[in-house]
Amino acid sequence: MTVADRRNRGTILALTGPAYLWLTATIFLPLSAMLYCSFLDKSPLVPQPASLTLRHYAAFIEKPVYQQLMLWSLELGAIVTICCLLIGYPAALALAKVIKGRWREAMFLMVVLPFWSNALVRTFSWTMVLRPGGLADQAIHVVAPGAPALNLLYSYPAVVIGLVHSYLPYMILTCYISLQAIDDSVIEAARSLGARSWALFRRVVFPMSLPGVLAGSALIFVPAVGSFMEPRILGGTKGATLGMAVEEQFTVTANWPFGAALSFLMLGAVLLICLVLYPPARKRMEGL
Amino acid sequence: MKLGPALLKVHLWLVLGFLYVPIVVMAALGFNASPLYALPFEFDLVWYRALAGNAKLIDAGIHSVGIALVNTIIATALGTMAALAFARYTFRGRTVMQILLFPPIAIPWLVIGTAMLVFFYWIDVRRGLFAILLGHVALSLPYVIVVVGARLATFPRAVEEAAATLGATPWQTFRRVTAPILAPGVIGGALFAFAVSFDQFVISYFLAPPGVTTLPVEIYGAIRKGFTPEINAISTIIIVVSMGVLLLTARFYRFGGER
Amino acid sequence: MSKSISRITRRRFVAGAGALGLGAAGALGAPRILRAQGGKITVLNWQGYGTDEAWALEAFNKATGIEVVHDYFNSEPEMITKLRTNPGAYDVVLTNSAWNGVASAEGLIQPVDTAQISHFNDLNPSLRDSALLAKDGKVYGLSWVWGMTAIAYNTEKVSPAPVSVEVLWDPKLAKRISLRDDAIEAVSYGAIATGQDMNHPADLAKVKERLLALKPQIATLWSSEDEWNKLFQSGTFDVAVYWSGSAARSKTNFKLPVGYFVPNEGGIGWFDGLAVAANAPNSDGAHRFIDYMVDPTFYVEWATKVGAPASANTKANEQLPAEDVGRQIHADQAAIERLQFMAPLSDEERQAFSDLWTEVKAEFAK
Repeated sequence: MTVADRRNRGTILALTGPAYLWLTATIFLPLSAMLYCSFLDKSPLVPQPASLTLRHYAAFIEKPVYQQLMLWSLELGAIVTICCLLIGYPAALALAKVIKGRWREAMFLMVVLPFWSNALVRTFSWTMVLRPGGLADQAIHVVAPGAPALNLLYSYPAVVIGLVHSYLPYMILTCYISLQAIDDSVIEAARSLGARSWALFRRVVFPMSLPGVLAGSALIFVPAVGSFMEPRILGGTKGATLGMAVEEQFTVTANWPFGAALSFLMLGAVLLICLVLYPPARKRMEGL
Repeated sequence: MKLGPALLKVHLWLVLGFLYVPIVVMAALGFNASPLYALPFEFDLVWYRALAGNAKLIDAGIHSVGIALVNTIIATALGTMAALAFARYTFRGRTVMQILLFPPIAIPWLVIGTAMLVFFYWIDVRRGLFAILLGHVALSLPYVIVVVGARLATFPRAVEEAAATLGATPWQTFRRVTAPILAPGVIGGALFAFAVSFDQFVISYFLAPPGVTTLPVEIYGAIRKGFTPEINAISTIIIVVSMGVLLLTARFYRFGGER
Repeated sequence: MSKSISRITRRRFVAGAGALGLGAAGALGAPRILRAQGGKITVLNWQGYGTDEAWALEAFNKATGIEVVHDYFNSEPEMITKLRTNPGAYDVVLTNSAWNGVASAEGLIQPVDTAQISHFNDLNPSLRDSALLAKDGKVYGLSWVWGMTAIAYNTEKVSPAPVSVEVLWDPKLAKRISLRDDAIEAVSYGAIATGQDMNHPADLAKVKERLLALKPQIATLWSSEDEWNKLFQSGTFDVAVYWSGSAARSKTNFKLPVGYFVPNEGGIGWFDGLAVAANAPNSDGAHRFIDYMVDPTFYVEWATKVGAPASANTKANEQLPAEDVGRQIHADQAAIERLQFMAPLSDEERQAFSDLWTEVKAEFAK
């Protein structure tokens, strides 16, 4: 090991140490305890002694409804992530490459500010917009009188709208900070070499902004899979997710081990998907 | 290419409009007479008057903002440091450490909160501000690390190296080169850290001492009786004040990464 | 070791917060040190459920000098969790007929000294002496209020007034029905509709079949009283399962056209008891507070000003004005006879109910 390496090690430790010590004490250790708990036949804190069991994981296999919910949740997470990408990326592009000067800082802040409020209150506001005769209907009737009522509330699209709204800023911001880091001179150089707009975007801009796209997608897909509040309030009976089932194990059945098992299965599925999708994306980035 | 930028600009404005739909509705309902969000709209300041006399709710709002601010400072500092290490060095365990950022985001907050409550009980960390901050910062850290990381991943290391070659000390390089490069990522991370903490219900619900509440606890706890549009009123005040403060800051500091 | 570290760092954090001008947030750290001093009790209850009415706490404080601080739970399992992880933090805790036994069996609550309850003899004996709030012949929860989870309907849209649980399955009311998103309540109504024991239905398959038949009926599921009122007000549903005290509140406070009935086939009854936490720092104050909570003066003000379930104190109910909506709902003797009261469930039963309800909801979502 060279001297430089050893010095680096000190720097790395100093830089990552505080954050990871904090995470270890507050998240990793408690979650490890929860993981252990998912293999117990009783909740911790119960006076009776507990013994090890695999039955909560077996229950996931034996009861098809939980697999169904898992699939639905993953599907919902994917749809929300893709919608956020399709809507958020062009917005980020506009913010990074079209808007100039003071406006840019202002709009950058304006993208995140709605989220300095409460998700439940925001979701109830959405019900006012989406319900029959609600604001969305009224707005459409101003533009096109005689248009049929939208009747979006308590439907799957309502859930997607609510979730896309909740997570869109992550995509816009991460894409923006990546796009903005691309030096305009790189783009100019490519253009002077005769690259057309579309080729320029596909070959230069998009690959260079991939780190932002990936970060945004992860920050959206991962929590959206576990969502339960928006599906319940906006989806009515049409929004069934694994997140709801997890919540129920803690608030109704008092079956922590099963709730924990479901959460870790969800984590496993999400991780697996991210790890499968990451390498090809990285190859794309490195192939620049 | 002339049409492109114009279209993009229109798109951005539409997206901003979409983001503010529920916020505008929320604010409007705070000025509506009906306690049940009933329409037609009837202008009334009754909820603002009620809020002025509701010390408990105002306290909850102050607690939420205060915790979120402290959380933002700590999480942004620690998270940026970790992101720098990930971007600038390759070392054993780096990938594992990055993967470890997933569980805090993926596991539902109720599960993490319960785990934290039980764990803190076992190791005898008492309920209070310290315990709440422990939890909030931990949940904000992954967001900061990922957002700052996205910025660093796009930025070429070469710029810093050039500065060093030109004779800049490490501190000068950091202040003059790295910090401005980082700024948009750090600000973005900080904004999310604030948002995560400000809407975090479970941690305060389990770990705040009796008698002390935060806004989310007041709101999510209202299963039996429900909340009145006073909640809309205080949320509107907080958003409007934040907007004023932040836009004023933006007037004087450039952090959007203008070069 | 960890304790001393946490204490030091906490103090530093509090100081830091104060320096940042976050005085109020800094105060968060303080209550722990102040407590245990005589004139204060801590109550664990649902938020907005009687014990935390500001005017009541003021009156109680004036009479006794005791300051009342609240902590809240959002579900009964979380109530138990909070009791388990905060020994010695609470004085009074709300436990209902289904969960009091869990708390007392684990030693999380202590017997109520009924001699200290001046209104004890005025309490309805069938609630006061219920085995569900007692253990080994001792009272572990002083019966405080009771109510029903029955069916509310929009009097302007549904006529004639429904009398049967079958109204939930009435094809004329397709997409006009709502239930609470709660496994136990849903299974209870499935059991009532199939003529089974509500707490321990023998034939769960029948219950499931009946609940699945609700698919074309359900407009949405509700999860809080606030949401219920908003949904009812906006005309999202016309008939929904609802709590009796809340129905009174919707009618009295929000002037909603709410009708309320206990189906001929039966309805859910429940009662809540106030318990004294084990190791309560101020057991004396806890008893005084519980006594105040069953006092007719408090109850009448609560019921008429805010809306409340029925009091366990018969004298308190009698003092309500005759036109009081809550009184009318809760005074119907024939309806009370039809109630089945919520009993403790085994872990296996709760899990089976939850699995069943999850399956039904997944079918709804398809």
